[in-house]
Amino acid sequence: MSRSPAYRLGCDIGGTFTDFILLDRASGRYEIEKVLTTTDDPSRAVDEGIAGLANRRPDFPAVCENIIHGTTLVINAVIERKGAATAIVATEGFADLLEMRKEIRYDIYDIAAVYPAPLVSREHRFELAERVTADGAVLRPIADGSIETVLGQLRDAGIESVAVALLHAYANPVHERAFAAAAAVAAPQLLVTLSSDVLPEIKEFERTSTTAINAYVRPLVDRYLARLENRLRDRGFDCGLYLMLSGGGIIGTGAARRVPVRLIESGPVGGAIAAGHIGDIAGVKDVISFDMGGTTAKGCLIHGGDLPITTNLEVDRVHRFKRGSGTPVAVPTVDLVEIGAGGGSIASIDELGLIQVGPQSAGADPGPICYGLGGTLPTVTDANLVLGYLDADYFLGGAMTLDADGARRGVEQVIGKPLQLSAEEAAWGIREVVNENMTSAFRMYVAERGGDVPAATLVAFGGAGPLHADGVGRKLGVKKIIVPRAAGVFSALGFLVSPVSYEVSRTAVTRLGTADGRELEVLYGELEAAAGEVIAEATAGLQITFERIAEMSYVGQGHQIRVAVPAPEPQARGPQANGAAAVDIAALDRAFAADYSRQYGYAYDDLETQIVTLRVVASAHGSVPEVLVPFPTMARESSLKAVRAAYDPMGRRFVDHEVHAMDRLQADQSIAGPAIIEEREATLVVAAGAVARAQPRGWVEVTLGGETS
Amino acid sequence: MTTRAPRNDLDPITFQVVWARLISIADEIAATLVKTSFSLVVRDNHDYACGIYDVSGRMLAQSLQCTPGQAGATPRVVAAMLAQYPAASLSPGDVIIANDPWLCAGHAPDIFIAAPVFRRDRIIGIVCNSAHHIDMGGRLGATDAREVYEEGLIIPISKLMIAGQPNDDLFRLLRRNVRASDKVIGDLRAQIAANHVGARGLVQMMDEVGLESLDALADRIIPRTEAAMRAAIAEIPDGVYSHSVDHDELDPDGKPIRLTVRMEIAGDSVSLDYTGTSAQVPKPINAVFNITRAYSVFPFVAALCPRLPMNDGIFNTVRLVVPEGTVLNPTFPAPGMYRSLLSYYVVELIYGALAKVIPHKVMAPSGTYPLWIQKFAGQYDDGRPFVSHFNAQGGQGARQDRDGNSAVVFPGNIASTSVELFEVDAPMLCERKAFIPDSAGPGRFRGGLGQEMVISSLAKHRVSGASSGGRFHAGAQGLDGGKAGGRGSIQFKDGEPFSRSSQVFYDHGDFVRLRQPGGGGFGDPLSRDPEHVLRDVRQGMVSVAGAAADYGVAIDPDTLQLNISETARLRAQNAAAAE
Repeated sequence: MSRSPAYRLGCDIGGTFTDFILLDRASGRYEIEKVLTTTDDPSRAVDEGIAGLANRRPDFPAVCENIIHGTTLVINAVIERKGAATAIVATEGFADLLEMRKEIRYDIYDIAAVYPAPLVSREHRFELAERVTADGAVLRPIADGSIETVLGQLRDAGIESVAVALLHAYANPVHERAFAAAAAVAAPQLLVTLSSDVLPEIKEFERTSTTAINAYVRPLVDRYLARLENRLRDRGFDCGLYLMLSGGGIIGTGAARRVPVRLIESGPVGGAIAAGHIGDIAGVKDVISFDMGGTTAKGCLIHGGDLPITTNLEVDRVHRFKRGSGTPVAVPTVDLVEIGAGGGSIASIDELGLIQVGPQSAGADPGPICYGLGGTLPTVTDANLVLGYLDADYFLGGAMTLDADGARRGVEQVIGKPLQLSAEEAAWGIREVVNENMTSAFRMYVAERGGDVPAATLVAFGGAGPLHADGVGRKLGVKKIIVPRAAGVFSALGFLVSPVSYEVSRTAVTRLGTADGRELEVLYGELEAAAGEVIAEATAGLQITFERIAEMSYVGQGHQIRVAVPAPEPQARGPQANGAAAVDIAALDRAFAADYSRQYGYAYDDLETQIVTLRVVASAHGSVPEVLVPFPTMARESSLKAVRAAYDPMGRRFVDHEVHAMDRLQADQSIAGPAIIEEREATLVVAAGAVARAQPRGWVEVTLGGETS
Repeated sequence: MTTRAPRNDLDPITFQVVWARLISIADEIAATLVKTSFSLVVRDNHDYACGIYDVSGRMLAQSLQCTPGQAGATPRVVAAMLAQYPAASLSPGDVIIANDPWLCAGHAPDIFIAAPVFRRDRIIGIVCNSAHHIDMGGRLGATDAREVYEEGLIIPISKLMIAGQPNDDLFRLLRRNVRASDKVIGDLRAQIAANHVGARGLVQMMDEVGLESLDALADRIIPRTEAAMRAAIAEIPDGVYSHSVDHDELDPDGKPIRLTVRMEIAGDSVSLDYTGTSAQVPKPINAVFNITRAYSVFPFVAALCPRLPMNDGIFNTVRLVVPEGTVLNPTFPAPGMYRSLLSYYVVELIYGALAKVIPHKVMAPSGTYPLWIQKFAGQYDDGRPFVSHFNAQGGQGARQDRDGNSAVVFPGNIASTSVELFEVDAPMLCERKAFIPDSAGPGRFRGGLGQEMVISSLAKHRVSGASSGGRFHAGAQGLDGGKAGGRGSIQFKDGEPFSRSSQVFYDHGDFVRLRQPGGGGFGDPLSRDPEHVLRDVRQGMVSVAGAAADYGVAIDPDTLQLNISETARLRAQNAAAAE
C-alpha cells in the first residue's frame, strides 16, 4: 500500500434504514448517514448513502481503507420466503427430517401452536440411495443411477440451488462429494451446497436446516454482491469489502458467497463487539452489554474480552421471543439474549390484574402516546416521560415535542385506575416491570451459560439503554455502569473494530481416555488450513492467529462447553521432522475441568470426558482504530442545563434532578445523583446514591451505591 | 448489597415484581438442571419440573418448561415430604429424595429432590425439582411387568444429604441397584446443585425486598391465580358432560380397558368423576392418582388459560373423584412404568367431554398418545454395555381452524431422538424415518401425519428391545364430523404386527418397523378447501386415491391438477351417500 488509508466505512442494512458510519482515522471523528432501505435492490441504498457521505467528504472513496458491511438480506429472504428455487437431497428414507424438526412443543400449554413452514417443501425434498454409519464407514455405496435420478428430479422441478445433507456426512463426506462432482458435470449451473462443507457437525436436523438456508440464499447473495461490487467500483473505491458475520468477525466476499448463511444474524452483533471493545479499553474483565432500543433489549455477557459464541441460533420464529418456535441455524453466532422490552413496549393489565409490559411494541408508528401520532396505549417511553426522566422539549435533541399530558392520561387510565395507583406510581410500575423482565432474561441467560453477574460491568447503550441502566444494574447487582458517548449509535462502531475472523468446525466424537494427541493435531491442522485459507483470501500481509477450541462434555452429557485447547509446549508444536506434534490431552482435560467448574461451580473427577466437535477460529488483526470521542479536559461552558423534578425510586417521590448535557461534560467531571445526563439520542439517569464520572477517553462511568430497589 | 427493613406487606408493584422473580428463580433451577444433567430426557426432552414452596408446602411458582405429569405431581410430593420431615425438623444442607410412585410421579425413574431454604438460620421455604433418570434398576424394558417390584428401586421419602453430609448408605444402595450408575449419581448431583441455585436466588430476592416470609406471598399468589382460572371455567356453560375412551390394552378378561369421566361444570367449578373406569391391571400402564390429577388439570389450563402461571391455585380448581383400585388410581403394588400409555388418554377423555359444549376450544384426539418409546439395551462389539432410547411420535389432532401438527409430541413434551446421536450412542441403525401418506385423519382440517420408522441392529451381540406404542386397533378419532387418523403398528422383522407393546430380541440385522398413528380430523372432510387437498397430494401427504375417497376431491394422477367439475360430482355423491 502506497499511502496510509484514512477512512473506514461501516454500513448496516436494516429492515427500515440503511445506516452508515464513516470514521476518519486521522481525526477520530465520524460522520453518520441514514437512508431508507431499498428492498428491491439493497445495493442502491448503499450507493445513495455513499453518495451522501462523498458529498461531505469527497476524498473518502479513493482513500477508504475498507468497507464493513452488515446486511439483513439473508435473514429477510428466509423470513419472507424469497429465496431461490431450492431442493434438499437427503439419505433415502429421510427426506422429511427438515419438516419433522425435533417433534417437541415450544409451549407445553399452547394447543394451537404452529411451526414455521419448512423452507423446502416436501415435493422438493429428494432422496439418494446410500448410507454412511456413525463411524464414517460406508454401509451402502450410492446405488447405481441414484445420482442421475435425483439430478433428473432437480431438473424437472426447475431447481436453482440444492442442499445436500446426508446422514453422518460430518464423519465421512464421500457421498456428498460424489454427488457434487456428478452435478458439476451434468448440471454445471446448479448451485450445490454440501452439509459437510457448511456444517460438518453431528445432529441431522440442525445440519439439514442450516445447509438448506445456505442453499436457499446463495443465488440471492451472489447477485447482490455482484451488484454492490460494481457500484463500489463505479464510485471509485479500491478497497476491501468485508461482510459482518453472525459470529462477530468480518470476512471477504468470496467466503460470503460460498457460505452466506454465516451472515444471517449480523445486525445485533455490532453492539456486543463495541461493548467488548470499550470494556477492553476500560480494563474491565467481564462486561454485560445492554442494548435497549425501541422494540427489544439485547444483552450479552463478555468474559475477558471474548465474545461468547453459540451455535444454537434460531431464526424465523413463529413467536419472536419463544425459543423452539423457529428454525435452527447452527452457525457460530454471538450469544445474545433478546427480549421484547424497549421504549415502545406496550403496558397493559393481564387476567391476574398484573402489569404486563411488552413484547408487543407500538413501534415508531403510531408509537408511544407521547409522540402524538395516534398512539393510545401507554408505553415504557410514556412512563419515563411521566416520571420526569425524559424532557418533553428535548426528545431527539428537541426535534420532536412530546405530549406529557397525553402520556400521563394514558398511563393513569390503562394502568393506574385498575390498580388504584396514581399516574406516577403506575408509571413507576411500568418501569419496574420492564426492568424486571430484562433482568430476569439476563439472569436466565447467565444461568444457562454460567458466569458471575455481580462482578461484571454493565455497558449500556441504544436509545433506551442509558435510561434503564440504573434500574437494571441494581437488580442485577452490578457495581458499575459504563455509558459511552453517542450511545444511540454506539452499536455501529462495533463494525469498525471487528477483526477479520472465521470459524470452522468438525465433529469428531473422541473419548479423552483413548484420544491420540497426534491424531487431534492432524485434525486441528486441517481445520487451521481451511480457516486460514478463508482469512488469506480476505487480507493480505496480516499475521493470522489461530485459536483452537474443543467442544467437550462428560461422556454421555448432551451439552458441550467450549474449551480453549492449551497451546502445546513450543518445541512440540508445528510440523516437525519426527511428526511428534500433538495436542496435550492431559492439559486439555484439566482445562475442561477448570472451565466446567467456573461455569457450574463444580467438576467431577470420576467421570470420563469427551470431545464432540473441534473448532478453529482464525483471525487477522489489523490496527484497531480509535472509535471513542474523548471528553475535553477544559469545558467551554458548564454542563448544567437545568434542574427538573423526576421520580426518586428510593423515596418514591419526585425530587429535583440536575440535568447535564453530555457533550458539555469535561474529562473527570463527577456528577452525584439524583441527576440526568442528556444527549441527542439518549438520556442517562443517575439515581440518588450513584455517582457519574466522565472518563477522559469518552464514556461516563456510573458507580452505583446506596440501597437496592 | 444492603438489606431493606423487614416487611411482609408488599405494595402491588413490588408484589408483582417478586412474583415474577419467583418464576424466574424456578426457571433458573431448570436451566441449571438442564445444563448439568446427563439424562437425555432431562436436557433434550424437558422431562423435569422445578418449583418453589413455602414452609407449609404450598407451591408458589413452577418453571415454565416442564413436563405436565411431573408438573402436576410435584405439589403433592413436597407436601408428603413435609409430612414426614416437618419443616421445623430440617437443617441447612438437608436434601430429601423420593421416587415412590404413589407419592411421586407414578414411576421410579422420576426422582424428586427437595431442599429446605434457610435465611438467617430460619427455614423460609422449600425448593424441589424432579428429573427423569436414565435408569432406576429393575428389569429392563419390563413391558410385561405384573408388579411394581419389577420396575426398579423404590426410594421412599429419605434424606440423601444430612446437614450437608451425603447419606453414604443410600448412595451405595443406589449405586449397586442401577445401571449406568455414574450418570444416575451425576444427575442426582445436578439436581442438588440446581436446588442450590434456587435457594441462593430466593434468599437474595428476600434480602433485596426485605421480605421475611413467603407465607404472605403465597396468600396472595395462590388465590389470585385460582380466581383467574375459575373465571375461565365459568365461561363453560353449566352442565354434565360424560365421555368414555377404550384403550388398546385389554383387561384380564380380554375386554378393552375403558376410561370414563363424568364432568360437571357448575359456575366456576369443575368436578371430574372417573367412576366406571376399568379396574387396575397387572400391566405396567396403571397411572397413580398424582398422574391422573396432573392430566386432569392440564387440558383445562391448555384449553382455557394457557398463560396463567402454575401454582397451587391452578390445582385447587378441579375436584376429582377417582375410585381406588382403578387404572387411574391403582393400589400398591400395581406396575406403572409405562403409565403414559394410559394417562395421556385422560386428555382425550376430557377434551371429548368438553367437545360436547366447547368444541372450538379443544383438539381432536392425537396419534401421539400413547407415547411411543423404543428402548434398546445390549453390548457394543467390544463388550461395553449400552442402553438407548429412540423417541418419535405420530400426528396431533386437528382443531376447528387448523390442521394438526405432524410428528409433534402431545400432551407430554419429549423431543425426538437425533438419528445421528442415537447411532453414535448405540450400535443400531435407523433405516427410515418418514411421514406416512394418508395417515392423517381427514377433516375440514386434517390431523397431523404419522410417521414410519425402521430400526435395525448392527451389533454383534444380541440386543434386547422394548417397543411401546399403540392405537393398533383404531386410529385417533375425529371431532365434529372429522375422521380417524391411521392406526399404529409395530412389526418385528417380517412377522405379524404386534397387537400391543412387547419385548423382543434383535440379532445382527434384525429390524423393527414402527408405523405411528396420525391425528384425528376436525369437521367434515367434504368441506375441506380442495386447494388444500391438492397441496397435500402434490406433497405426497395424501394420495390421489385418498383425495377422492376421503375428501371427494378429484386430482389427475399424471398432471396433479385439480378437476373441479369431477370434484363437485364426487362431493355431491359422497354427501348423498352419507345421508
